[in-house]
Amino acid sequence: MSIEASATMEIETVSSEPKPESNPLPPKPKFEPLKAHEMSDGRVQFRKVSVPPHRYSPLKKYWMDIYTPIYEHMKIDIRMNLKARKVELKTRQDTPDISNLQKCADFVQAFMLGFDVPDAIALLRLDELYVESFEIKDVKTLRGEHLSRAIGRLSGKGGKTKFAIENATKTRIVIADTKIHMLGSFANIKIARDSLCSLILGSPAGKVYSKLRQVSARLAERF
Amino acid sequence: MVTPVEAAVESLRQISTEPPVWLVPKQELSQAVRAASKLLFASLKPHCTKSPFDELLIEGFDAEQIWQQIDLQSQPLLSSLRREVKKFEKHPEEISKLKVDVEGGKKKVLEEIETENVVVNDDDDEDDDIDMDEEDEDEEEEGEEKEKGREEESENEGEEKGGIEDKFLKIKELQEYLEEDEAREFGTNKKKRKAETKKHEEDTEDEEEEGDDEENEDDTDEAEEEEEDELGLFGGDDESDEDDLGNARYEDFFSRKKSKDSEDKAKYRDMLEEDSGSDDEHVDKKVKNQRKDGLSKHEKELDELRSKIEQMEKANLDPKVWTMRGEVTAAQRQKNSALEVDLDFEHNVRPAPVITEEVTASLEDLIKTRISEGLFDDVQKAPTLSSKAPREVKELDDNKSKKGLAEIYEEEFVQKTDPASAPLTFSDELKKEASMLFKKLCLKLDALSHFHFTPKPVVEDMSIQTNVPALAMEEIAPMAVSDAAMLAPEEVFSGKGDIKEEAEMTKADRKKRRANKKRKFKAKAAKRPRANTSVRNSDEGSKV
Repeated sequence: MSIEASATMEIETVSSEPKPESNPLPPKPKFEPLKAHEMSDGRVQFRKVSVPPHRYSPLKKYWMDIYTPIYEHMKIDIRMNLKARKVELKTRQDTPDISNLQKCADFVQAFMLGFDVPDAIALLRLDELYVESFEIKDVKTLRGEHLSRAIGRLSGKGGKTKFAIENATKTRIVIADTKIHMLGSFANIKIARDSLCSLILGSPAGKVYSKLRQVSARLAERF
Repeated sequence: MVTPVEAAVESLRQISTEPPVWLVPKQELSQAVRAASKLLFASLKPHCTKSPFDELLIEGFDAEQIWQQIDLQSQPLLSSLRREVKKFEKHPEEISKLKVDVEGGKKKVLEEIETENVVVNDDDDEDDDIDMDEEDEDEEEEGEEKEKGREEESENEGEEKGGIEDKFLKIKELQEYLEEDEAREFGTNKKKRKAETKKHEEDTEDEEEEGDDEENEDDTDEAEEEEEDELGLFGGDDESDEDDLGNARYEDFFSRKKSKDSEDKAKYRDMLEEDSGSDDEHVDKKVKNQRKDGLSKHEKELDELRSKIEQMEKANLDPKVWTMRGEVTAAQRQKNSALEVDLDFEHNVRPAPVITEEVTASLEDLIKTRISEGLFDDVQKAPTLSSKAPREVKELDDNKSKKGLAEIYEEEFVQKTDPASAPLTFSDELKKEASMLFKKLCLKLDALSHFHFTPKPVVEDMSIQTNVPALAMEEIAPMAVSDAAMLAPEEVFSGKGDIKEEAEMTKADRKKRRANKKRKFKAKAAKRPRANTSVRNSDEGSKV
């Protein structure tokens, strides 16, 4: 019995022995997600957005509208580098999420592309919004007057075609010479792109309107 | 001796018979002919019982009328004489009887009769009176001779027999008839049959044979006849009968005798040879056709049957008529052959209605009643049940949207999650406006229709009041008198303290004012985030 006990005990002791001998494994560490500030070994994250010359004065005009949401809601430092003509964004210590920086960068980029601040703000608020750009020459090679006419067709008289597309598809469109930028959700961007491409290719506005009507009805039905 | 008849005939003959003479009507010719015809008529009168005329009326009568008289007399005569001639054809012995009694001079006449019988048969349509009268004359003579012959016969028989027979019933004749019939039925030789009967005359036989046949069988037959003449009448007959019937052989029925073939019959036989197939039929036909006196009833029936059978077999061999061929297209039948056949087919189309006055009258009545009732059977559109609620048509807005994109998405999100608190959409506003209008309308209608007055419901509505003189709002015509403002003075300005104009202010006041301003500005500047400036400084510091 004693031997058995001792054996068991030995076993037990054996099993128990190494425990006290070696240090207990530290408890599994719980890492909190890295703050933006601590990423890359504690170095600060930067984003720099260059300012095109034609957006310089609008930037000055709407600076506060841009600055306020970024600094206060997103908790990202923002400044304008006048010499380099860039808007610089930096994470703060209390930046909750690293994606904030990217969102802010996108927001500022959208503004630089030509979108209005209330439209670009949506980028900050919603995740699923994207900005897509393409050129007219991607769709069809047009030169000279044809190009001008295509641009005119795209925007319409007083911009009404563009607005019609925007309202129907819940997107925002910026036509900058030969470049076209669209802001919105993925599906809506697709629809807007289709309409714009058909306009570039030459279909009349009425046709595009009718298609848009159908599409918008379908979109409205879904909700 | 010259009978008036002969005189008349002679006179007629004297008149020239050349046709050209008759072309021009001449008085003397007509008179002579009329006289002659009158005489002939008178001569024939005693033989004709049915004639209504006693004599031929000539004076003042037309040629047509004279002819009609003659016709009336001669028609019944002709038929009776024809009967007599036929009888003589069957029983030439009677002619010989006549001949026996009559003088030999009459032989000539009989020969004439024979020839003229042939003539009679050939020339039927003779318009001249001459031939007619001659025929009448000859036949009349023949009739007289026949009658005489018959009377003698009957006298002979009457002597021999006794009480049973009288002038009507003659057993002899009855027996003869029966024998003839039997002979016809069994197809025995006619010559033998003739031999059975009583008296033959060689001459008649000869004449007959000459008249009808090509061959002569005079000698044997004559011998037989003579023998049988010697025998008793009845007994001889019986024996001859039995001999004939008992001795009936195949040859009697189907003998190949070549007797009595006229040219016509030879031709017919040739035709038969070409057409018919079997030899037996052939032979039969030949035999039968060769028979002079016609066939027995049975034989005739058989002939008919045979011909019918031939016809039918021929029809079967030939290709069928198009009407019997089933489906036939127009190309397979002759042109216009369908017109000749009475076709019967179903008409799928109702035949067009025949428009009569009654039909039109009925239609018009119907129209009138319908118009009066106003029952027009107009087509009414079937009401379409709308299964779905009418979809809201979202109009395309051409204008720049006043809401930012973010706001749009915000609204969407809110609508998804919490539809109640969602801001009103455009359609909702429209609905609201519509309901407002309807309420107003209902109020007015209620006011008009109810006895008890219901005041307007109070709708609290916020509206901006502009500071415009009341009169300007109420009256169009501007009146310079009253400038009473809508707003109360304290609403215009609610200020405190001593308010001085710019000109009134002293230097101290101005300084005071500036100092206040600066204070306020400083306070404002202090409120703005100061961190900005601090960060900038730190950045600048780090850069350096």
